[in-house]
Amino acid sequence: MIRGIYAIVVLDLKRAWLDRARLAAGLAQPLLYLFVLGAGIGGSSRLGGGEYRRYIFPGVLGLSLLFSATFAAIVIVFDRQIGFLKAVLVAPIPRAAIAFGKITSGAIQAFAQGVVILPFAPLAGVPLSPLSLLTLLGAMLLSSFVFSAMGVAVAARFTSTTVFPVISNALLLPMFFLSGALYPLQNAPHWMQVATRFDPVAYGVDLMRGAVLGRYFFQPGLSVAVLVLLVAALGWVSVRVFMRGEDDSSLGATQFRWRR
Amino acid sequence: MAVTTDPQSAAESPPAVEVRGLVKRYGAVEALRGIDLTVQRGELFALLGPNGAGKTTLFSILATLRTPTAGTARVFGHDVVSDRNAVRRTMGIVFQEPAIERRLSGRDNLLLMGLFYGLPMATARRRATELLESLGLAEAGARPAEKLSGGQRRKLELARALVTDPAILFLDEATLGLDVDARRVFWSHVRSLADAGRTVFFTTHYMEEAEVAGRIALIDTGSIVALDSPRALKARLGGGVVRLQTADDAEARRWLGQHGFVCEGQGKEIMLIHADPAAIVPELLRNLPVRVERVEVHAPSLEDVFLGLTGRGLAGNEPIAVEHSGPPGMGMR
Repeated sequence: MIRGIYAIVVLDLKRAWLDRARLAAGLAQPLLYLFVLGAGIGGSSRLGGGEYRRYIFPGVLGLSLLFSATFAAIVIVFDRQIGFLKAVLVAPIPRAAIAFGKITSGAIQAFAQGVVILPFAPLAGVPLSPLSLLTLLGAMLLSSFVFSAMGVAVAARFTSTTVFPVISNALLLPMFFLSGALYPLQNAPHWMQVATRFDPVAYGVDLMRGAVLGRYFFQPGLSVAVLVLLVAALGWVSVRVFMRGEDDSSLGATQFRWRR
Repeated sequence: MAVTTDPQSAAESPPAVEVRGLVKRYGAVEALRGIDLTVQRGELFALLGPNGAGKTTLFSILATLRTPTAGTARVFGHDVVSDRNAVRRTMGIVFQEPAIERRLSGRDNLLLMGLFYGLPMATARRRATELLESLGLAEAGARPAEKLSGGQRRKLELARALVTDPAILFLDEATLGLDVDARRVFWSHVRSLADAGRTVFFTTHYMEEAEVAGRIALIDTGSIVALDSPRALKARLGGGVVRLQTADDAEARRWLGQHGFVCEGQGKEIMLIHADPAAIVPELLRNLPVRVERVEVHAPSLEDVFLGLTGRGLAGNEPIAVEHSGPPGMGMR
C-alpha cells in the first residue's frame, strides 16, 4: 500500500516537475487579487487598502490551493486518455493506493503553489512570526489535502477534460465566494453565514487567517475537526470510485462502461 | 526419509495459463462462450482471430482488467479474480494502445514501472539499462518517449513489460499500426525471449504473426474453433488449396458442387481444398462450364484454415454468405 502510494506520488511529481513553469504562472492570479483587486476594493472600503490586503492574504492563499489542487486532479482524466493508467492498473498495487497516491500528490502540488506565494506576505503587509508561519503552514497542508481529495473524488468520475471549466464555475467559485476569502463573514447577510458553514473552503481559509491575524470566525478546533473528517470522507469516496473500476478497467468512469 | 515423488511438485508448477469454461457477457452479448485453454510454461502461444472474435476480452480477463461472468482462469495457479495481485506479479503486458508516459524519457518510464512493482532501485536501474541496450534503445531511451518513432515506442512498451522480469509476457495486438519492417524487428525480439524460455501469450489478427507461435488457438465469435501447432493446423486441411476466379463464380460453384468438390467460404474467390491440388487443375480447366480467369495453387495458410473452419476470413470484414446455410460442417441439421 505504502509502496503504491509512493510510486504514484513519484510519478505525478516527476510529471509536475516538467510543468514547473506552472508554479510561476500560478502566481499571477493570486497576486492580481492581492495587489489589484485588493488595492481597488480596499481603497473604497472602511478598512483601507493596506488593512484589506492583509485581510484577504489568507483568502488568496486558499484560492491558490483550491485551484491548483483541482488542476492536479484533472491529470487523472488525462491519464485515462493517454493509457499510462492501464499499465498502472495491472501493477500489483491496491486500487486504494492509487486513490491515496493521487490525493497526496495533488496536495503536495497545491501546497507547493501556496508556499511560492508566502514570500509576498511582507509586501501585503502580513507580519509572519515563526510561530504564525508554522501554524499557517499546518493549515495550508491540511487544506491542501481537503481540496485535493475533493478534486480526486470528482475528477475520477470524469473521462472528458472539457468538463473542468464547468466544474470550476459550478463548484469552485461558489465555494470560494462563500468562504469569506475576500470579505469578513461577520458583516455578511445571515443566509451567507449559514451557507458558509457548509463550505469546506471557509474552514481552511479561516484557519489560515487565524494563523496570520489571530482572529477566527469558527472555533479553530472545530475547523480542524471538520477538515480532518472531510479528508477521511472524501478519501473514502475516492477509494470507492477507484475500486469500482476494478471490475471494468475503467477506474470507475461511468462513460467508459461497455455498451452495445 | 528420501522423497521419491513429491506430491507437491505438481501443485507447485501449474500451467502458465489455465482457462476453464470461461464465459463473458456484456448485457445480452456473449463475448466469450465457454473457453477452455491451457498454456504450458515456456510456450509461445498465439490467440488468432478476426476483430471482435473475443481476443481482447479474453486477454483483459487474464490481465485482471475484467472479471468473467462464469468459469475460471488461472495464471501460474493464481485465480485472476480472487488472487489478482499474485497474477499481476507474474505478468508483463503490452497493450494495443500506448501505455507509457510520453513526456518522460524511456528510461524514466522503465524506472517508474520498477517502482510500481516494488523493485529495488538498483535492480530497476540495471534492468532498464540491459533492456534498452538489448532492444537497441540505449540512446533513444534518454529522450522523451514522444520523440521516438512508432517502432521504437513499441519496443519501449516491450521493455516496460519486461522490467520486472515477468514469468509470462502478454501481448495484445502489440504491433497494431506498425509498418512491416518494425513488425519484423518487434517479433524477432519476442521470439528470442521465447527461445530463452519465457512464456509468451499473444493475440493477433495477422496470420503471419501467429506463424511464429508453437501453438495457435483460433478464436471466432467467442469460441475456440481449433487449437494446435501451425503445421498441424495446416495439415488438417490435407494437401493444398486451389483458388479460382471465373467469369461466373456462381455458376462455377454450382458445377463444382455437383461434381463432388467442396467450396470453402464465400469470398471473392472460389477456394477448394484437395489432397493433390495440382492434379485437379487440368480437369477443372477442361471441364468447368465457365471461363477460368485465374488459378492459384498453394500450400494452405492459416488464413485458409480459419476460412475452412468458420467460412470467414481473418480480416473479419468480408461479407458473410447470405444464402449459404452456414460454415461447412455446421450445416448438418
